[in-house]
Amino acid sequence: MNRNLGLLFAMPLLGITQSVYAKDYLSVAEAQAVLFPTADTFLENVLTLTKDQKKAIKRLSGVRQRWDEQKVWRAEAGGQFLGWFMVDEVVGKHEFITYAAAISPEGHVLGVEVMSYRETHGYQVMEAGWRAHFVGKGVGDAFKLNDDVPNISGATLSCRNMTDGVHRLLALAEVMLKP
Amino acid sequence: MKLGYLSSFAVLATVVSCGASADENFLGHVKGAEVLPKGASDLYMKVNWRSDKGQGNYDAVDIFAEYEYGVSDRFQFGVGVKGRSVDTEGLLIDGYLPKEGNFGPKLAGLEVTGKYMFLSPALDDFGLASYVTLDYDWMDPHSGQDKNTLSLELELIGQKYFLEGQLIWMGNLSVEGTYSDRGALEGLPADFEWPTDPEMELEITAGTGVSYRFAPNWFIGAEIEYQTEFETEVGQERYSWFAGPSLHYGGQSMWATLTWLPQISGGGEMYEGQLDTGLHLIEKTKNEVIFKIGFNF
Repeated sequence: MNRNLGLLFAMPLLGITQSVYAKDYLSVAEAQAVLFPTADTFLENVLTLTKDQKKAIKRLSGVRQRWDEQKVWRAEAGGQFLGWFMVDEVVGKHEFITYAAAISPEGHVLGVEVMSYRETHGYQVMEAGWRAHFVGKGVGDAFKLNDDVPNISGATLSCRNMTDGVHRLLALAEVMLKP
Repeated sequence: MKLGYLSSFAVLATVVSCGASADENFLGHVKGAEVLPKGASDLYMKVNWRSDKGQGNYDAVDIFAEYEYGVSDRFQFGVGVKGRSVDTEGLLIDGYLPKEGNFGPKLAGLEVTGKYMFLSPALDDFGLASYVTLDYDWMDPHSGQDKNTLSLELELIGQKYFLEGQLIWMGNLSVEGTYSDRGALEGLPADFEWPTDPEMELEITAGTGVSYRFAPNWFIGAEIEYQTEFETEVGQERYSWFAGPSLHYGGQSMWATLTWLPQISGGGEMYEGQLDTGLHLIEKTKNEVIFKIGFNF
């Protein structure tokens, strides 16, 4: 029996070797080019958040700010400020989902691009039609999944966390980047 | 004990898998409330190794393979087949373990399941689902002898995400009614009974557990389960508490869970000469090791 049980318990190794691969769709530079096609400069800056700032973000968005640091890029074209470019990670069912958001100087979403998505279901998050629901939203707007942003069956957790994530980035811009 | 054909089936399932996940099992016994999305399906296999009744040698392996299909975004349907093997020596229990020997492996039963999600844990904050199982078995899981059973189990499942989904809580409560009818047995030990009159059993199970994602794709979990059974003749026949850890891997196209679930406490009927009086060891064992693997399409 031990030989057979050993074989059965070894099965996941074979399956895991089949499934451990990453699907990265966009690099940072590619996402920047998509979200700010006219920009000629991206000035990188790392924001360090205090506890009070993290609390303020949660108060504004209702979402916990997981990381203590946030990398942001100031997008410019010919010296003109176009907006902020941010890369964020949110919890998916199995792995983090990496996405980028472009936020206008006034604090509205200009666009969202998924950079890395490795979940089983829900590849519709890659579709422009789904991501378009974020465009124009500000931190004070409603962000309820299935009401303001459509849900994708089989990827509800991913959709919820991406929706909350964009809301949180708007709150971060409000707290950390508003002059 | 030969499990060759079942192992081959598992290898085949591994080789042909290349697709999708959803009714992913993070723990050994306790289930989550989510269902497969409409049109998605998975192939799932569970191996449950039950061992040690306190005296002699006792090993039983239950294997269950099920195909599940998402009929809608709230309802999934499954059909499954069971295999079983029981290997016992050095212990005879009147009415339960009448013979030593190696019984199986052989096909032991069929199962049909349905799961309806009333509330989604990611969308509605708290997940709630019902799970119905209709089961027909023809091999006694304890002795390996012929025994026809027809069971209907109704289960209520709760689930909640914490930390944006990194920590998952699950809770289950189920009631199972079973009609059983044993086949006649020749060559019983002197003074042993093997009742062949049909009987009814009622089993109640309550369990809860958590699973925490400690690294991408990898989850560690723990669960505790209480199970009790009532029978026509004796009232409450047994009760047991099981508790133990799980390690779970969840990927894009497959998932796997390994659980150790020892019996930590129990009571009810005991066999003659039983030394571990704080456990129920007639129908249950000291240890269960459960391995599950699922492939998504």
